[in-house]
Amino acid sequence: MKSLWKTFKQGIIYENPLLMLMIGLCSALAVTSSVANGLGMGLAMTFVLLFSEIVISIFRKVIPNSVRIPIFIIIIAAFTTMVDLVMKAYFPDLSKSMGVFIPLIVVNCIIMGRVEAFASKQGVLPAIFDSLGMGLGYTWVMVAISAVRELLGNGSVAGIPLMPASFQPILFFILPPGGFLVFGLFISFNIWLKGRMDKTAKERA
Amino acid sequence: MKGTLKLGITLALFAVGACASLAVVYTVTKPQIEAQDQLALEASLRDLFPEGEEFEDISASISSANDAVRISSAFLAKRGGAPLGLAVKAAGPSYGGQAVLLVGVELNRSIAGVRILELNDTAGLGANAKNPGYYVDKANKVTFPGQFAGKFITDPFVVKSDVVAITASTITSTSLTTIVKAAAEAGALWLENSALAPPADQNSAASYSGSAASESAPEATGGN
Repeated sequence: MKSLWKTFKQGIIYENPLLMLMIGLCSALAVTSSVANGLGMGLAMTFVLLFSEIVISIFRKVIPNSVRIPIFIIIIAAFTTMVDLVMKAYFPDLSKSMGVFIPLIVVNCIIMGRVEAFASKQGVLPAIFDSLGMGLGYTWVMVAISAVRELLGNGSVAGIPLMPASFQPILFFILPPGGFLVFGLFISFNIWLKGRMDKTAKERA
Repeated sequence: MKGTLKLGITLALFAVGACASLAVVYTVTKPQIEAQDQLALEASLRDLFPEGEEFEDISASISSANDAVRISSAFLAKRGGAPLGLAVKAAGPSYGGQAVLLVGVELNRSIAGVRILELNDTAGLGANAKNPGYYVDKANKVTFPGQFAGKFITDPFVVKSDVVAITASTITSTSLTTIVKAAAEAGALWLENSALAPPADQNSAASYSGSAASESAPEATGGN
């Protein structure tokens, strides 16, 4: 149980897919211009990651090593298409604003990376915890980046105006360069946080 | 050889499994997706013509004179059998890809209103076109699509002259204006060919003769 919890925790700070492993970055820069988009993308990615890891972990003994990548892609693509269809049917507004980025989950390296590095070698239970941890790590970073960008670039968070009426939105933060800047600051924050946590862990020991 | 065959069969089995599960999800969600599209379209149609009771699909008999703008469907709004106007759904290129607009054309060939159904332009810039709180005319609270209401198709439709642009989004403003103009022209031509809107303006619905809906497609725009 303890090791499962540790697996889960890894993805949030220590091995955060975006801030530490630095994979799946294009979606983090492209859809984080509003909180609703960031959250939707994070949840959709987590869903696909969870089910892909479960299925691949179940079948890991029957997947031949030499054709594992095509099989992974078939499974990931199937779940991504399902998410796309379900979102179109039940959340049409979200689906419209996410546009092309949902189909692009197929080639999101986080999923490919975790499936290859973790699910294809571990049992179902650790794979579930790994996918939830990684998914949560991805989602919180997406929401945090988009909150900063939406607040400064549009004066609102999740569509609720927070800035005084006199506030002139800084368009820079909505545009791609602003995304890079905010993202870079988050990376440095995460490295600082990790350093601090290492220090306290050492002191405690 | 045998090993390769085994690999191929394994791969095929996974593909079959994935296809089967996808087929199930597709079948379950398909009616819902169609219902959502229909719902969204009907809501915008009613929004454009609040008086409208029924909307007749005339998509087959309308076409666009502008090659870049594609008309996907069009509806004739009616109340008690008398036509009120035409709603034209048109798609054309904009800054962030395809933009889809619904343009309402009155019988007197003025624009009843413009609704943006799909637009993927930059948030905070071009996307302000579909932001109900973004006004191009702050004093009168007129939005970018809102400024087209009441314009006649004979107007020039030139951005920065008779159309107010969105700040720092000239491409979005120009593209959307082009789509509105093309859709309105196609709609007006259809009305003319259907004898619903005689060349002279200021016609009321009372002059409607009743035989128009069966008229054939406008010839002038077809072919090339």
